[in-house]
Amino acid sequence: MLNYIWSGLIIFSLVFALAIDSQELAENRFRNDAAVPVTVAFPDTYDPEARRQPIEIRLPPSEYRQFFEVDVSLDSTYEGTLVQTREGRQVQFSDEASLPEPLATIKSFHESDENPALRGTLTGAALSSGAARVTGGVQFEPVRFRKLNSIAQAALNFAETAASLALSLIGVLGLMLGLVKIGEEAGLVNALAGAVRPLLSPLFPNVPDDHPALANVSLNLLANVFGLGNAATPLGIKAMEDLQDLNPSEDTATDDMVMLLALNTSSVQLVPPSLLVAIMGLQINQLFFSITLATFFSTIAGIVGALVLSKLPWFRATAPHRVQSADPPPED
Amino acid sequence: MFVEGAKEGFDVAVTIIPYLIAILFAIGMFRASGAMDFLVNALDPVLGAIGVPAEVLPMGIVRPLTGSGSAGLVADMINQYGEDSLVVKMVATMFGSTETTFYVIAVYFGAVNIRDTRHAVPAGLFADFVGFLASVYVVQLLFG
Repeated sequence: MLNYIWSGLIIFSLVFALAIDSQELAENRFRNDAAVPVTVAFPDTYDPEARRQPIEIRLPPSEYRQFFEVDVSLDSTYEGTLVQTREGRQVQFSDEASLPEPLATIKSFHESDENPALRGTLTGAALSSGAARVTGGVQFEPVRFRKLNSIAQAALNFAETAASLALSLIGVLGLMLGLVKIGEEAGLVNALAGAVRPLLSPLFPNVPDDHPALANVSLNLLANVFGLGNAATPLGIKAMEDLQDLNPSEDTATDDMVMLLALNTSSVQLVPPSLLVAIMGLQINQLFFSITLATFFSTIAGIVGALVLSKLPWFRATAPHRVQSADPPPED
Repeated sequence: MFVEGAKEGFDVAVTIIPYLIAILFAIGMFRASGAMDFLVNALDPVLGAIGVPAEVLPMGIVRPLTGSGSAGLVADMINQYGEDSLVVKMVATMFGSTETTFYVIAVYFGAVNIRDTRHAVPAGLFADFVGFLASVYVVQLLFG
């Protein structure tokens, strides 16, 4: 299932990005081959020798709207710099300027860490020393395959995030699983399992009475209830490992595993997660009751969803415990 | 004894890396391609009909996909609408009442190498959907 979702997301993203990119190319939304009309004013008059000098860039509104076929409001002038090199003159918009569309998009497409500002070549401007203003055009670097570029970038970024996320879990995972191990050896986990069995065993029918899995499930749920997201994950993984021990199949989830997952994703919560407290501050107190109520409904939905779906023929047929009991017992 | 368990934790963290990469990478692409905005726009009229305000819809879609993304969305909406607005209360309730389903699935099943997750995704998403609707209606009832 996850595989289908995974490949579905990727294929859909690619197709979607490709469609948007070809549409943008077809209507030439960024006018890749033409120069934007501008008027450049020099507060200190034009100096042919200066490498960089401050300028004020005016985009004539009606010409601008017609040029890009957009309807946007423009500032009267934009701060900028004229950069003169051997290759030509470049108009550079100030990094802080709030640019109109589609210039803002062109900026974000070309922006790099070393050079965040939008820049283009000044064309068609006859500049003489001491001039106060000049009219001409600015030719930007072409924008092509914008979405494909950005999904490639996002893919790389998120792959990195995933690895650092997993590594950042090592600490808590080690700590919690170490503590659980001590609890197991001391018999605490078994004692807890006995206490919660009447409550949880109807939801986890394939866990035998003398198995510690239920204790770890309940530890995981308790950590969730008290908003300890960081502690809940290792405990949930521990519970998952116990359920996997009971699983006759190598790589197919049992009904019990799905139930554990449904309980976790709907997250029975009495204490709001710390991240939300960090964002909302004291405002969170008002929401205490609404969160508890909403989480109650979603948890019920999770339990009902997991139970009902497991009865559907398609999912029933693949249940590892059923598949195993249907197979003839192996010889010897 | 403690060390034994802690070592196990290290192995688990390493085991889940490929699963996390797979799912986060696909979600990142989905967001960057603009497909998510498209989905929000497509669903807008449907949810409007059952009394769900358009502003909270992005949260309903982002919440199961990314935890940090949805936290960012809450912060962003506080800036935009103010802490006391109804829509902010709704998204904050959504944030508090459901989990990042795909992350939980990738981590929990990744840790034990389960590939066929059977009805886990539909069950998790169903719970998220009910949590989403419950957040909207409960906040409307309490503060509306």
